[in-house]
Amino acid sequence: MASAAQPSLIANLKVQRRVLAALLVRELLTRYGRHNIGFLWLFVEPMMFTLGVTALWTATKSTHGSSLPIVAFALTGYSSVLLWRNMPGRCIGALEANLSLMYHRNIRALDIYIARIMIEFSGATISFFTLSLVFILSGWLEPPEDFLTIAGGWMMIAWFGAVLAITLGALSHEYELVDKFWHPMSYLLFPLSGAAFLVSALPPFAREFVLYIPVVHGVEMIREGFFGSKVEAIYDPGYVLTCSLVLSVTALILVRWVERRLTPQ
Amino acid sequence: MITVDRISKDYRTRTGPRRVLDDVSFTLDKGERLGVLGRNGAGKSTLIRLVSGAERPTAGRITRGMSVSWPLAFGGAFQAQLTGVDNVRFISRLYAQDPEANLAFIEEFAELGQYLREPVMTYSSGMRARLAFAISMIIEFDCFLIDEIASVGDARFHERCNYELFDKRGDRAMMIISHDPGYLRDHCNRFAVLDAGRLTAFDDFETAHDHFLTQMRVGEPVRAVAQPFSRRMAAIDSLRRVAYEDEHFMALVRQADAARDRHDWVAAEKGYAAALSLHPYERSYWVQLGHVAREQGRLVRAEIAYRTACAFGEPARLLAPFIAAVEQPGGAGASVPAAVPDGGETRRQPPGYPDLAVLAALAGRGERLADDAALALLRQTNAMEDVLAGMLDGPDALSPGRPLPESIAVVPGDAPLRRQWSEDLARLAGARQEEFHAALARGDEPFWALRQAGGFEGWALPVPDRMEATGA
Repeated sequence: MASAAQPSLIANLKVQRRVLAALLVRELLTRYGRHNIGFLWLFVEPMMFTLGVTALWTATKSTHGSSLPIVAFALTGYSSVLLWRNMPGRCIGALEANLSLMYHRNIRALDIYIARIMIEFSGATISFFTLSLVFILSGWLEPPEDFLTIAGGWMMIAWFGAVLAITLGALSHEYELVDKFWHPMSYLLFPLSGAAFLVSALPPFAREFVLYIPVVHGVEMIREGFFGSKVEAIYDPGYVLTCSLVLSVTALILVRWVERRLTPQ
Repeated sequence: MITVDRISKDYRTRTGPRRVLDDVSFTLDKGERLGVLGRNGAGKSTLIRLVSGAERPTAGRITRGMSVSWPLAFGGAFQAQLTGVDNVRFISRLYAQDPEANLAFIEEFAELGQYLREPVMTYSSGMRARLAFAISMIIEFDCFLIDEIASVGDARFHERCNYELFDKRGDRAMMIISHDPGYLRDHCNRFAVLDAGRLTAFDDFETAHDHFLTQMRVGEPVRAVAQPFSRRMAAIDSLRRVAYEDEHFMALVRQADAARDRHDWVAAEKGYAAALSLHPYERSYWVQLGHVAREQGRLVRAEIAYRTACAFGEPARLLAPFIAAVEQPGGAGASVPAAVPDGGETRRQPPGYPDLAVLAALAGRGERLADDAALALLRQTNAMEDVLAGMLDGPDALSPGRPLPESIAVVPGDAPLRRQWSEDLARLAGARQEEFHAALARGDEPFWALRQAGGFEGWALPVPDRMEATGA
């Protein structure tokens, strides 16, 4: 829709920043309110999850066939699960809950998804970072060998999780089956995602199979960053990047498609 | 300038796409206030959503050369779990405004007091509407989209809204949708009528309004499904509701009200009579009909109307002075008190003019009841069954083989005839409508058809023997 008064890119970016900031505050207030610890729940909630799983695995001595300390294994594994699994969970059905926002022309469907993804990403990241720090300071965990590899693996999982979230979110607006299928899918993917095994510990045929799952590569990268020489990490960043790029394009096309079909109340 | 260029909108339904807007085009410039009239379901709200940008057209394009508001006083964008303050802050951030200055304005304007700091879900609908309108006023748009704002809040708040919108912001462009022609006439300078998704533009209000009324007339009338009521007041109560839902009826009485307010008694009587022909049991408009007939010196008609209103349950105490004034213009003798219903069985209730007309048509007295005859019957203050018994007593009543008139006059004067009067008859007799119509279609005698459908149960009527014989 070209018109004489088409605003510049910088003006558009300013609007975009404003809209996202307003949506973030609105989401945070709506989800966590101002009672008790308020928006601190953002990362206290995932921390509680990770701590619980760590305690459970420690108690049952679930080493999952590796020589790594259980605490380290659980922290790296479960934190990454929270990262990729919560984003689609929050984006499915996000538009229905916010349809009336479409009356504000500045807000687009993508903004609603991005705001929710940013919240999930910050929550999981702060939780992962804080717990790592606490475990390292208390001596349960060795300091990571290569911080940048961890960050790289983490960002790869986040990217894949985010575009998966937008894709499923947009599809869920048209097909409610997406919501029904996502819950069992996410539970089934959890053991397959690399959270509970090291690829190198698997028999070769299983290796080949799990490496088709993009998040496995990210988890392996994080493990390599943490433990470096102590594990044999198997991953291919190029594969994940290709998957994420293809899915990103799909997600953007789907959002445009679903936006044309929105009917605000 | 907003340019709407040949837009169409389809919605998907289970039975395939449904076209809600069809090839709609118009432009809206600064200072222009476009009023769009349309009945419910004509596509008004869809049009306003498309212009606001909340939704995309299926075809065509909308170019906005100025800032356009969201549909005004629209409360849906509130997050109900958040407080009023948080919602104001959200909108302020979204439109790059100072939240604190806006809060000060809203505290003063919406008069919500401490409730502004409570979650919006605890608000009453009036409070929500006040907050929504106040929030709409904090952003300065070039063009405002207004959806039936007349219904917002109490009169006091409505006055402030009108001042803020049409006085302080009178220089802006506006698009107002409504099914109330009077509201549009007062606020708009351009008019259009939306019907079945098509928009027709008009230069002046009168032509637009005439077009709107014509549409109403060709539309399917809203009808009540006649239930076999044995108690009349319950029937009247439900029929009034049906009347209020009929946009054609409401349009006619609004038009008549406007005529009455400018003392155009002839037009007002015509309007009320036409409205009552659609819904003869909406009793408050019988009072209005009485008033406008009295103003023209048509005392017989006025008295008929007043007495009918009383028979249908309008307070007789309040109408008694009017009845006395039209019955005895000099104020000499004592007047006959109006008959009032007691809430009991229909057969024991007093008839109004429509009942007399329906019963007379059944008894073979034709499609129009003379005013004097009707008034005489009303003054007798007899119950329904006595009136019908009297009518059936004549020699030519119920002659077999004579068909019922197609339509009859249920309002005195030269109002349009009512076609659906057999439904009124079934309801009055307490007959099951389908069975009655089925019996009529078989060619049964109408009175006997009603009896077969459970009508006139318990009524004391002199039924000629030959009738029972032919029916059986």
